[in-house]
Amino acid sequence: MEVKESNRRVLEAKELMVFYENMLALNNVTLHCEEESILGVFGSNSAGKSTLMYTLSGIILDIKYKEEMKGGERISVFGKITFEGKDITSLKPHERARLGIILCPERRRIFPESSVLENLFIGSYLARKEREENLEYVLNLFPRLKDHLKRQGGFLSGGEQQMLAIGRALMANPKMLLLDEPLLGLSPAYQEIVITGIKQIRDTRKITIIVTEQYARPVLPIIDYGYILENGSSVLSGTKEELLDNPDVKSAYFGV
Amino acid sequence: MHILVYGVINSITLSLISLGFALVYSISRVPNFAHGALYITTGYIVWLFINKITGFPYLLAIILGISISGIIGALIYRLILIRIRGMEISEIIATYAIGVAILEGLRWGGLRGMTFTLPVFISGSTEILGVTVDFQRIVVVVCGALTFLFLYFFTHHTRVGLALRGIAQDERAAMMLGIDSDLTAILSLAIGSALAGFAALLLLPLGNIIVEAGYSVLIFAVAVCVIGGLGSLLGTVIASFIIGFAQILTDKYLSTHYQMVVALLAIIITLIVKPSGLFGKQKELEERV
Repeated sequence: MEVKESNRRVLEAKELMVFYENMLALNNVTLHCEEESILGVFGSNSAGKSTLMYTLSGIILDIKYKEEMKGGERISVFGKITFEGKDITSLKPHERARLGIILCPERRRIFPESSVLENLFIGSYLARKEREENLEYVLNLFPRLKDHLKRQGGFLSGGEQQMLAIGRALMANPKMLLLDEPLLGLSPAYQEIVITGIKQIRDTRKITIIVTEQYARPVLPIIDYGYILENGSSVLSGTKEELLDNPDVKSAYFGV
Repeated sequence: MHILVYGVINSITLSLISLGFALVYSISRVPNFAHGALYITTGYIVWLFINKITGFPYLLAIILGISISGIIGALIYRLILIRIRGMEISEIIATYAIGVAILEGLRWGGLRGMTFTLPVFISGSTEILGVTVDFQRIVVVVCGALTFLFLYFFTHHTRVGLALRGIAQDERAAMMLGIDSDLTAILSLAIGSALAGFAALLLLPLGNIIVEAGYSVLIFAVAVCVIGGLGSLLGTVIASFIIGFAQILTDKYLSTHYQMVVALLAIIITLIVKPSGLFGKQKELEERV
């Protein structure tokens, strides 16, 4: 799929730098995201994918604050993030969520003691009026959740939890969805369901999506544009064809 | 029969005292050691209303008292705790200091002696299973049960209640969904303090408003919450029943003075045998894994 030139840049991040004490977690990362596109961010463990997601969603500010309170690690964040033309660099996570940026975190972080339905309802905190509509949409997207509505979130399998986590994020009516390693630990069958789901979300809800993943191959067919992170730096970016043509990338991330 | 009836009454009394403390802790992870002080403060405020202003309606005084207690709780968080959030020891020291300051301030301000009493809601008594029970204690039991039902409904079926539970289970995951952690903490302190006030107005008519009760209420609340597993509402109720009946039994077979010992011993035994409490569940586990 090609990205039209006229498309607006929804999210722009400029020169993001994040330090944990003296360890550089993100080094001068600049990226942007076109409206209604799917952006892939690939990199190995500790390449900075999760830190990038935390920085975009503002969670890093909360981590930084909590660490300061505990007298723990000193975290420094530099750079500028704009969303729909607005500078959101210093906004707290819940304020960014209110603008429409919803993060679906690594390892899903389902509310373990709440039922599936309650998990979804907690997700609808920002969109109470559209709750029933969104619920119907999510259950159509992932019909498998229908069978477990009363089950406690903690007792679901990994794949079901991932569907629930994405569904919960959708209940908040996001404009932009950040998915941090949504395929982590899933069986190929579930990977397939989740990937199809992600594409369907973009196509039907017109939501801009950023997906991070360690292995690019399963996600590659659905992305419009991709970045490759290595040791905190963005070493390469391009459309999926450009990424595929690069021999280094091919061997390192696509497992070809 | 006496043991059964008064055991139930005592247990519900304890759970009324502890629910506010448990609720605050489960949502905001703040151990509110000013709980007992808010309990006495509410009683005193209502006493002031009905005794210093002639003809002041009791019901209005109660509503005002509970609201003021809630507001004080919210202010404690907004003005003080927000600055030390996440430093557990400081939270305990700060809330305990606030509690002591309030209680000793009241004592200094004239809350001494046995002259401070609140009227019961309905006077008189009746017989249940051959045991004489006054109506106020029945009101306590009914209100205790209603409070629990209300809390259950609130936290399972309302938008704000669900948000509170989200924060309680995984603060950061809830933040990602747009829930403001500070706002929910303020709210939890307000609700918890209002519950302390509510408990005070139900229970104080059975005795005197004395400063010492503020301290013992705090100890009972902490005991119940430690045994039930900090942060579990169901555990709180079950622990109330355990301590409640244990107290009535010691009262019957030993002496009334040992009631406090029972609560403190229960804390020690729980901490030795099962430090996470009866219903301390996953949180502990996750940390170990």
